[in-house]
Amino acid sequence: MRSRSPWSLLPVGLVGFVAAVGITFFADGPGGAVAASSQTTTPTTIAVDTSPSNIASGRTLFIENCSSCHGTNAEGSARAPSLLGLGAATIDFWVSTGRMPLAYPTAQAAEKPPLFDAKQTQAIVAYVTHLHPGGPGIPYVDVAAGDVSEGQILFSLNCAGCHTITGAGDALASGYYAPSLYPATATQIAEAMRTGPGNMPRFSPTQLTPAQLTDIVAYVHKYIQHPVDIGGLGLGAVGPVAEGFVALAIGVGLLMALAYWIGDRAVGPDAAPPKGDEGHGVTGAAGHAGH
Amino acid sequence: MLTQTLERQTTWLDDRLTLGKGSKKLLNKIFPDHWSFMLGEIALYSFIILVLTGVFLTLYFIPSTAQVVYHGPYKPLDGQRVSEAYASTIDLSFSVRFGLVMRQMHHWAADVFIGAIAVHMCRIFFTGAFRRPRELNWAVGVTLLMLAIVNGFLGYSLPDDLVSGTGLRIAFSILLSVPVVGTYLAFFVFGGNFPGTSIIPRFFILHVLIIPAVIAGLIAAHLGMMVHQKHTQFRGKGATEKNVVGSVAWPTYAFKTLGYFFLTAAVLAGLAGLAQINPIWQYGPFIPYHVSYAVQPDWYMGWLDGALRIFPSWETVAFGHMIPTIFYPAVLFPGITFTVFYAWPFIEDHFTHESRQEHHLLDRPRDRPLRTAIGSGVLAFYFLLFSASATDVLANFFGISLNIVLWSFRILVPTVPIIVGFVAHRICKELQTWEDVGERKRPTIILRSADGSYVGTTADYRPGDEPRELEPEPVPEAVGAHANGASTPELVGAGAGLAAPSQASAVPSGVLQAPRAPRNFDGGGGFLSNLRPRRQRD
Repeated sequence: MRSRSPWSLLPVGLVGFVAAVGITFFADGPGGAVAASSQTTTPTTIAVDTSPSNIASGRTLFIENCSSCHGTNAEGSARAPSLLGLGAATIDFWVSTGRMPLAYPTAQAAEKPPLFDAKQTQAIVAYVTHLHPGGPGIPYVDVAAGDVSEGQILFSLNCAGCHTITGAGDALASGYYAPSLYPATATQIAEAMRTGPGNMPRFSPTQLTPAQLTDIVAYVHKYIQHPVDIGGLGLGAVGPVAEGFVALAIGVGLLMALAYWIGDRAVGPDAAPPKGDEGHGVTGAAGHAGH
Repeated sequence: MLTQTLERQTTWLDDRLTLGKGSKKLLNKIFPDHWSFMLGEIALYSFIILVLTGVFLTLYFIPSTAQVVYHGPYKPLDGQRVSEAYASTIDLSFSVRFGLVMRQMHHWAADVFIGAIAVHMCRIFFTGAFRRPRELNWAVGVTLLMLAIVNGFLGYSLPDDLVSGTGLRIAFSILLSVPVVGTYLAFFVFGGNFPGTSIIPRFFILHVLIIPAVIAGLIAAHLGMMVHQKHTQFRGKGATEKNVVGSVAWPTYAFKTLGYFFLTAAVLAGLAGLAQINPIWQYGPFIPYHVSYAVQPDWYMGWLDGALRIFPSWETVAFGHMIPTIFYPAVLFPGITFTVFYAWPFIEDHFTHESRQEHHLLDRPRDRPLRTAIGSGVLAFYFLLFSASATDVLANFFGISLNIVLWSFRILVPTVPIIVGFVAHRICKELQTWEDVGERKRPTIILRSADGSYVGTTADYRPGDEPRELEPEPVPEAVGAHANGASTPELVGAGAGLAAPSQASAVPSGVLQAPRAPRNFDGGGGFLSNLRPRRQRD
């Protein structure tokens, strides 16, 4: 699930960066630096290795695994949309989260362990973007640079409405759902925001600047995925429903069991024998021990 | 030695305040020996925990919506503008020693408090303990349930976090939905339009003073009536409509119930220390244009939230006034619920006419199949509504469409209670036909005859295995017994008349009984009939 951490992508991104082969889609972002302009500024996207050999291996993988629905040249079919011009971020998100290739058609593609490793994913991305350049590139996120306080405000405003404020995810209408944010890598979170997979709205650089994107990713990565549960068990982070079940089943239930334990007078041989009974044996003494 | 010191102190007090007469009645009170009589005590002790922890919380909580900049150990909120109420709750949780565990204990205690009230109410209902003469105490109990729910909601709203703020917004809309006066009502309660700045201070004073004071008063009335009318009891050896059989308050029951208080406190403290509740730092401050999905109220409001969720969107116009959809599930429905709760003793009496005499012996639920069936159905109804408040969580958890979950509840809520009631009725009827149900099991001997057939016969109890039920004895004069000169010889010198009997047999123990004194005035007419002649003399 976590085969693609942002750090594993970093060398690839830097190599591509030096080669000045980048997808400079976000160059006009208000708060973002222009990619490929200088090595000292923060890049906004991670470039893809577009060497012919990589594209060739990507083509092989694509034809083997994707072309039956998306067509040999990613032009789409009656079953699946065209992938031309969707950009590196889209392809990388769907493949690296395991949503593609689809296991079976449902309202929403389910996340599962990815079929391809990082190198193979890169190759597929290179092949599809080679067919028709354009679209958002894989966003580069420096999680350490993010401001988690800004990120919390932006998350609360833009993300909590579907993914819930704890990021646990929740059901939407008609079989759609906002998935849990816990398994996503920093890059995948950024890709989802930039490309708007499925039902999710797309947040362009004019809506969320690269700096704001970084803030949100930092908050999700540091606090949603690793919540500060100083109060004890997190109970699934779904709020009062789980708490209510715990209060009733464990709180009231345990107290009822304790009431049953101490509430009844012992009957049978262990009970105190009636007055005048000569059989004050061991059991009789036990019956009086509490007095 | 300890006993003598205690007795000297109590005698000193008794000499000055004449406590003996009243306390003797209390100390000699008989508590029936059945575990289900302790369910109400969970609620009582939870309330005590609520007051104690609540006092601690008021020392740190600031009931104000004034905006401050939060600076503290929780980095995602650092530098954010939040209300003082929210900031102080965060500080309470992160920076005050014991603050978080107190807050969590308070919240768990509130959840358990109302759960215990519900369970206690079920016991009263299914055993018919609300019948004459206890209809008024039932009404006090229903009022306590209502106040507990209201106060729970007020307390839940105080931290001004994102989740509770959403709840407040819903409450505002519910008030708005009342026909004709809705707008006035909502603006009156909130001191203007939502959210305003008044609601947190207003809810605070209601939550920490006014409603708890009313609850405490009603608990006193509830217990006072119970002492005055004496406990109900199950049928058992020696138990009649004229007496109460069980353990005496002092010392037997006092230690039992003190232990139970400690157990309640232990369970609540255990929950508070191990299970996180309402982590408001994860929710962030309430900002009216921010919203989180998967927001539910605390469980005791869940039945209302569930009703809101599954009720069809019908908007009707009556007499030129629009009645919004949410009026039916959020105003009319709880109104009907509590009206029926209050009226139940009288509704049942309308059909059974049982109020012609007093009832102190409890029903076994199976002996009243119709009541048990109705109660089971009603329980199923509210449980389903509670579950319906989690439609989204259930849909997500089971990976099914939210629409299917919603429509399932729309069908299940009206139908399942009928099925549950019918099944409960059949089970009761079936249980009635079993003669030995509820009795101690006896061994069965199975014999195989020469032709291969088997015959089972019920055997006698094995020696020493016979159930022994003690014959109840009258309560001995434990308090003030020295007045009868019943002290033991060896204490005469030392105690010099002050010592109560310390002999083991004189301390009330075992199964005891106390008579129920007839309380009605002769000739009927109630207590007013006795006043009339006096007025005539004037």
